[in-house]
Amino acid sequence: MSENELVSRLKSRDRRALEYLYDHYSGAIYGVINRIVRTESASEEVLQDVFLRIWDRMHDYDPNKGRLFTWMLRIARNQAIDKTRSKELMNERKSKDLDNFVDSTDSATFVEQKTESIGVAEILNDLSAEQKFVVEYLYFKGYSQSELAEEFNIPLGTVKTRLRLAMKELRSLIKVV
Amino acid sequence: MNIEEYISSGVLEAYALGELSPQEMAEVNEHLLKYPALREELKRIEETQEELLMKAAIQPPVSGKAKLFKTIESTGTVRALPLPDNGKTIRWKYAVAASVVLAMVASYFAFDYRGRWLASEENLSELIAQNQQIARDYNNVHNRLEKIESDLQISNDPSFERIVLKGTAAAPDAMASVFWNAETQEVYLSIRNLKSLARENQYQLWAIVDGKPVDAGVFDVSGTNGLLAMKTIRGASAFAVTIEPRGGRTSPTLETMQVIGEVVG
Repeated sequence: MSENELVSRLKSRDRRALEYLYDHYSGAIYGVINRIVRTESASEEVLQDVFLRIWDRMHDYDPNKGRLFTWMLRIARNQAIDKTRSKELMNERKSKDLDNFVDSTDSATFVEQKTESIGVAEILNDLSAEQKFVVEYLYFKGYSQSELAEEFNIPLGTVKTRLRLAMKELRSLIKVV
Repeated sequence: MNIEEYISSGVLEAYALGELSPQEMAEVNEHLLKYPALREELKRIEETQEELLMKAAIQPPVSGKAKLFKTIESTGTVRALPLPDNGKTIRWKYAVAASVVLAMVASYFAFDYRGRWLASEENLSELIAQNQQIARDYNNVHNRLEKIESDLQISNDPSFERIVLKGTAAAPDAMASVFWNAETQEVYLSIRNLKSLARENQYQLWAIVDGKPVDAGVFDVSGTNGLLAMKTIRGASAFAVTIEPRGGRTSPTLETMQVIGEVVG
């Protein structure tokens, strides 16, 4: 199904289109959520909320402003971040951080564990250390650009340009793989 | 605008990642409409991002899909109604209808609860009043019982002599008794039958000591119960009651004498 067709069927509230969307994207979206909220039960909850929101807000989606996945990603990140701000999860996450402290300090291991995928770690290893760092933190560790800038004392503009370069590099790497 | 510079700032990556504020996003949207080169670049960034995240997918628990569709089915009636274009207004209308219903329900409950509150308030003050009445009654009974007990003690006490005062010619039906303890000099009066007097008059008890009348105190008939404690008297040979102006007099008015009785012992 082309993206245009998928979008128009979703907008006319075709449930089979939603099923297709779920089958196709729930893994990627769940990955995004899970790397931000970190616990399985909370990730499941957020995933439900995200797909319900996509279904309810389909009329808000404007294809001129970007791809469907980009729009979904935005919703997922926002919902996941909202979830981490809820108090119960903060506590859960804190204790988990202590448990996983050793693992998460080794970022290569962390990404490998979290992605469960063939190739992502290898692809990232082909990036320069600086570029790998921003991609890891922004895409796989649930950091926002401003959090990253603040925590590692990097100017926000630098974070943005580094990501820019990393994405440009990844573009060719992914096409090759 | 220098498109190259704009692109290399990384603003499109931030846009694709959903990192921009609503104002910044609106700005990017405006530029996207104007510059096809920006749209091209954004598309490439989005595809790369999508590809990367698809590769990094984590399979969610299988039960999630059924759960999602169950939720959608269960809320289907509302969700099936709106068409994409006017969805907002319909949702808005539902919100208004819902809030009107909510307001009506709330005011009904407010009214109902106010009624109940007032009723219970009323019940409560009634109960408090009843409680006070019961306490007063209890005190009265308690005092009367104590009085009766002490009266009984006096009348049964052998050291008290009982002197019966009988009606004179002026009041043949009148009758009273005096309980007198010669040793402690205590005097108690028990009224059996004395007529009520006008407000300006009072009865006065006299003791005859050494042939002379001695004041033993004034008293009223109405509102008295049991024995009346009178003044202490030493060496009485007789007791008598006269009617005097309120407050009593120093010497008795003999014409108004009601009852008289001699000490036997």
